[in-house]
Amino acid sequence: MPPPALDSAPAATPGRTPQVRPRTGSTRRDPLVLLAIAVVLLALRMAFGIQEARQGAAEASRGAPVERVHWRALEAGLAEARTTGKPLLYDFTADWCPPCRLMQREIFADPGAAAELDRRFVPVRILDRMREEGRNAAWVDSLQTRFHVNSFPTLVIVRPDGGTPVRIEGYLGRDFTLGRIEDARVRVRTQAILPPAGLGR
Amino acid sequence: MNLAIILATLRQRFTSPMRLVFLVVLGSTSMLPILLSPGSGFALLGDCYFMVLTLAAGMIGQDVSSGTIQLALARPVTRAQYVFSKWLAVTAGTWFVVVLQAVAAALLMAARGAPVPWSGAALFLANNALVALGAAAVMALLSALVPGLGDLGLLFLTFLSAQVLAGIGSSRSWGALVRAAEELQRFLKPQLEIGPIVHGDPVSWFAVISYFSTVTLCLALAIVVMNRRELSYASSGA
Repeated sequence: MPPPALDSAPAATPGRTPQVRPRTGSTRRDPLVLLAIAVVLLALRMAFGIQEARQGAAEASRGAPVERVHWRALEAGLAEARTTGKPLLYDFTADWCPPCRLMQREIFADPGAAAELDRRFVPVRILDRMREEGRNAAWVDSLQTRFHVNSFPTLVIVRPDGGTPVRIEGYLGRDFTLGRIEDARVRVRTQAILPPAGLGR
Repeated sequence: MNLAIILATLRQRFTSPMRLVFLVVLGSTSMLPILLSPGSGFALLGDCYFMVLTLAAGMIGQDVSSGTIQLALARPVTRAQYVFSKWLAVTAGTWFVVVLQAVAAALLMAARGAPVPWSGAALFLANNALVALGAAAVMALLSALVPGLGDLGLLFLTFLSAQVLAGIGSSRSWGALVRAAEELQRFLKPQLEIGPIVHGDPVSWFAVISYFSTVTLCLALAIVVMNRRELSYASSGA
């Protein structure tokens, strides 16, 4: 009986199974399923990107929520502030500004916070378009210069009849910002109650 | 995935003194706003992107340049399993640090007498889990492309290129270029905010799909790159 060849597979023995099964297949198999999913998602990404761009919803592509604050146009806001005596809350913002979007999501889209802001202030939004269009409307530049707005977001709280505006630069979280807005409201209200410095001398 | 590779990667990352110093610095500086304003919630902690970079830098490239990868792949492990294991290890490691950070922040808030917003903590952990998964996938791809810590350099250069493109696009009012730069940045730092989904706000499907598209694409390409990499088992000193 000739000896079995060394490279031949072991003969199957009835009643015994081999303890170690040789690995089959390559360790370099390409992840075809994952690649297919990636390609499908990439196609969907492009489709949704084009769709959202066509809708003109730049905010939607960044996940901007529906805001609950009722922003007034500048002239209407000034008139309303003079009538009601409520301080103006200017929101200096820009579309490209991530902290502005975070603030919109966490404060201006929050029903409770938005209702409080609407009740206590006359909110006016000033949108900077310098990056997108290369220039701003003259009245936007004028307001930014007047309130020394150098970064976004900047909130400015000011009495309708003037006084010293209170500026809140940047966004450091919902509660912190709401606290500072309330502080600012108290400060501008106090300006209205207290006589200007030097008047009582 | 392979548990041995995951554990070895975690051990390698968390025993590196330089990485630990970076993690401590990042974690402690993020606590400063909480210290100053304990009632402001977990949003002040920011995201864990730089922590991911700290733990992910060289996740594959260092194995390639040190020769460890030959030993790892001598086991019955596919290269896809190797990449997945590296990705999961970095994600798990980062999330572990984020959990420690959240616990420290909660203790700080409680010690300063501020209420701890538990829903905010859950949101913070969930958002950071997504940041870790996404950024680790991008780093897996970059690390598969270049040896050593070259992935960090590649990331920095690509970010810089995106900024330059955005600047040129803005100054020349080329919307397409600005959009391309935004997409590049979105690819380098995939993010998905869970807040709007939880709060019932309108969800941008583009944002959701972009995130998952980046993660799957990076992992798939990382595996393809690794599959095509030839590793020498010869010793140069022999």
